[in-house]
Amino acid sequence: MAQFRLQGSRVLAVELAGEAVKARHGSMVAYTGQMSFKKLTGGGDGLRGMVARRLTGEQMTVMEVKGQGTCYFADKATEINLVRLNGETLFVEADNLLCTEGSLRTGTTFTGLNGMSSGNGLFTTKVEGHGWAAVTSNGPAIILRVDKSQPLRVDPGAYVAHTGSLHRSLKSGAGWTTVIGEGGGEAVQVEFTGEGLVYVQPSEKVTIGGDV
Amino acid sequence: MGFTKINGKMVEALLVPGQRLFSQRGAMLAYTGDVRFTPNITGGQGGVMSMIGRRVANEDTPLMTVEGQGRVMFGHGGHHVHVIDLVGDTLYVEADRLLAFEGTLRQSTMFMGSQGGVMGMVRGQVTGQGLFTTKLEGQGAVAVMAHGGVFELPIVPGQSVHVDPQAYVAHRGQVQNKLSTALGWRDMIGRGSGEAFQLELSGQGAVYVQASEEKL
Amino acid sequence: MSYPPQPPYGQSPYDQPTQPGFAAPPPPGYGPQPGQGYPPPAPGYPQQGGYPPPPPPQQPQQAYAQEQFGGPQAPLPSTHGGSGPVVYDAFSLPVNDNVNPYAFSVDLNGSYFLQKGKMVAYYGDITFKGVGAGVLDRMIGQHFNSPMHAADWVVAQGRGKLLLADRAFDLNSYDLDEGNLTVRSGNLLAFDPSLRLKQSIIPGFLTLIGTGKFVAASNGPVHFVEPPIRVDPQALVGWADCPAPCHHYDHDYMHGLIGGIRRLTGLGGASGEEHQFEFIGAGQVLLQSSEKLMAERSVGQVDAEAGVPVGGVPSQPAASGHGGGNLNVPGLGNLGDLGRRFGL
Repeated sequence: MAQFRLQGSRVLAVELAGEAVKARHGSMVAYTGQMSFKKLTGGGDGLRGMVARRLTGEQMTVMEVKGQGTCYFADKATEINLVRLNGETLFVEADNLLCTEGSLRTGTTFTGLNGMSSGNGLFTTKVEGHGWAAVTSNGPAIILRVDKSQPLRVDPGAYVAHTGSLHRSLKSGAGWTTVIGEGGGEAVQVEFTGEGLVYVQPSEKVTIGGDV
Repeated sequence: MGFTKINGKMVEALLVPGQRLFSQRGAMLAYTGDVRFTPNITGGQGGVMSMIGRRVANEDTPLMTVEGQGRVMFGHGGHHVHVIDLVGDTLYVEADRLLAFEGTLRQSTMFMGSQGGVMGMVRGQVTGQGLFTTKLEGQGAVAVMAHGGVFELPIVPGQSVHVDPQAYVAHRGQVQNKLSTALGWRDMIGRGSGEAFQLELSGQGAVYVQASEEKL
Repeated sequence: MSYPPQPPYGQSPYDQPTQPGFAAPPPPGYGPQPGQGYPPPAPGYPQQGGYPPPPPPQQPQQAYAQEQFGGPQAPLPSTHGGSGPVVYDAFSLPVNDNVNPYAFSVDLNGSYFLQKGKMVAYYGDITFKGVGAGVLDRMIGQHFNSPMHAADWVVAQGRGKLLLADRAFDLNSYDLDEGNLTVRSGNLLAFDPSLRLKQSIIPGFLTLIGTGKFVAASNGPVHFVEPPIRVDPQALVGWADCPAPCHHYDHDYMHGLIGGIRRLTGLGGASGEEHQFEFIGAGQVLLQSSEKLMAERSVGQVDAEAGVPVGGVPSQPAASGHGGGNLNVPGLGNLGDLGRRFGL
């Protein structure tokens, strides 16, 4: 089984002994041993995944890395969060998925929500199965718990990923009374209800609302 | 002397009369005491040849000499700073990643092509960092910058290290480098240049790699 | 990587006896900085693997499941033995302190001013209103005692925990106790309504006066030094209590025949360090460890008037230094700029 570990907080080291992992295209920074890199068509999850990707325009160019040795991955100096999946599903912004173990399935799922603000299309990447996934965040991710008594509202640009049984809905900031530019600045928020964990980064991607 | 790390992105040097430092121009953050900053015309100790080399290479990383008495803080561009102490060995570093180094080090500009052959020249083009790399040798400390911090990978005989040219920061020791086109990498062309190449380092020493594929 | 907790305020390395004569006591009116020493890094942070045992398998996900994710009632993961990353909730989030070096948690009960777009998440019942929306004018009058661009600010009102962050820049909170601190406008993120915000005489800087807490961002951790010191203008975050800085030029360099030639022709190059801000007197100077400026926030225009520096001239955002800084970073969307241009 591929071994995932962190080399510092911004570099992922994966020890491979003949297995394959899927990683974001071009994220290899160094390796020792023998490695081969193959660009995967359609993310390697079949025709449906490919079609979905075509439709959505969600960019997730993935390469398969296979070999013997240690391969180091990094993505623009972002922090790396390791997530161990034991059969549950991780929903993650496509931009934030760095590397997954070969045993994990990735797909695209319609969310209808977050995409509109993050510019990723209306689709979120879904990772399921058993194994390690590495999720990047701009600054270390903060993991926030959501349960029945504590709904959470998140700036769409700061949302990275979530697990658990969560319902997402788009809320406009109650104070958004005036035109953009003089408005509340937090015009669109995503509300999470249910039970689960939400990964939030201390940063915001460019959002359509400009200063939202 | 040497450099004291204040935090991940800032180092401080204690200057005493008679010793000097070289630093990238404009990398001084603050100082106390009586310190002079002089732009280098001759490019440190390399002399005229070094300057010509730099002109030819169009390596545009002007240095300044820092002299006097006091404390000087250096940092640049929000990049992480890593201090490497040299004890008589040699460090090769891309010139634009040099933040500051002690005047006790001998500095020269090396033509990478002379070591890596044709591929070395290609390498220069690939990384867009010129064919010239700064070579520092002797005893002293060097502060290098990297996007997202660096990690060090040892290079031992029989165990070569492959590095993404854009993530390469510096290397030290008796190391041969060559640019290789890995099997399968051909498939990956199509997203920016440089993706198809890897820098292979072998020999005895260490290579410093940054946590990002972004060049400075 | 390394975020060594900053030395407590007033105990920067500069206080060490190696610098005779500079060991001024911390300026009065400066409480300890809770935000300085980050809360003890949560165990296992940054994550070293060992994730919380994730929830048991959920039901297969339907593709296109609208807005309902995961199986119903999937039990929650829990941290085991504290070895995983910390999971925060509304109760465990810090009270007016840093969650990590890049995020600050406000325990809101009432109102708080923040720069537009710096909220990343919140629990509770909080509304955000644009400052300058009209309704709040009276309140604004009390806090924005300058023709500042109120359009850049929102007021958060309600109860709950509010997480602030700014493009993964380092955040620090500062407690003022009948004190004053001047900070670069682009670096000020949020402040307690008990503080008053004024425009500094130095263009591009804002002064906070009174008692309360504010949060400022910096490119790299803030480093505190005591005067006398000369600072590269771009590395300056702000200063407290000491007299406003004066300009310092490297006269040896700029003067004389050679200097003149250099200045006129650029021949020989410039070291890039001919000009600094010089601080003298007692106080504290805040440095950011980078020369890449955070984007300037317009502080508004000062009316032309005799004796007022740059009166009538809108402050120009300083050009970013070298380093190829692309400052078009999130949070600075174009619409916001448009708003600023047309709004006020």
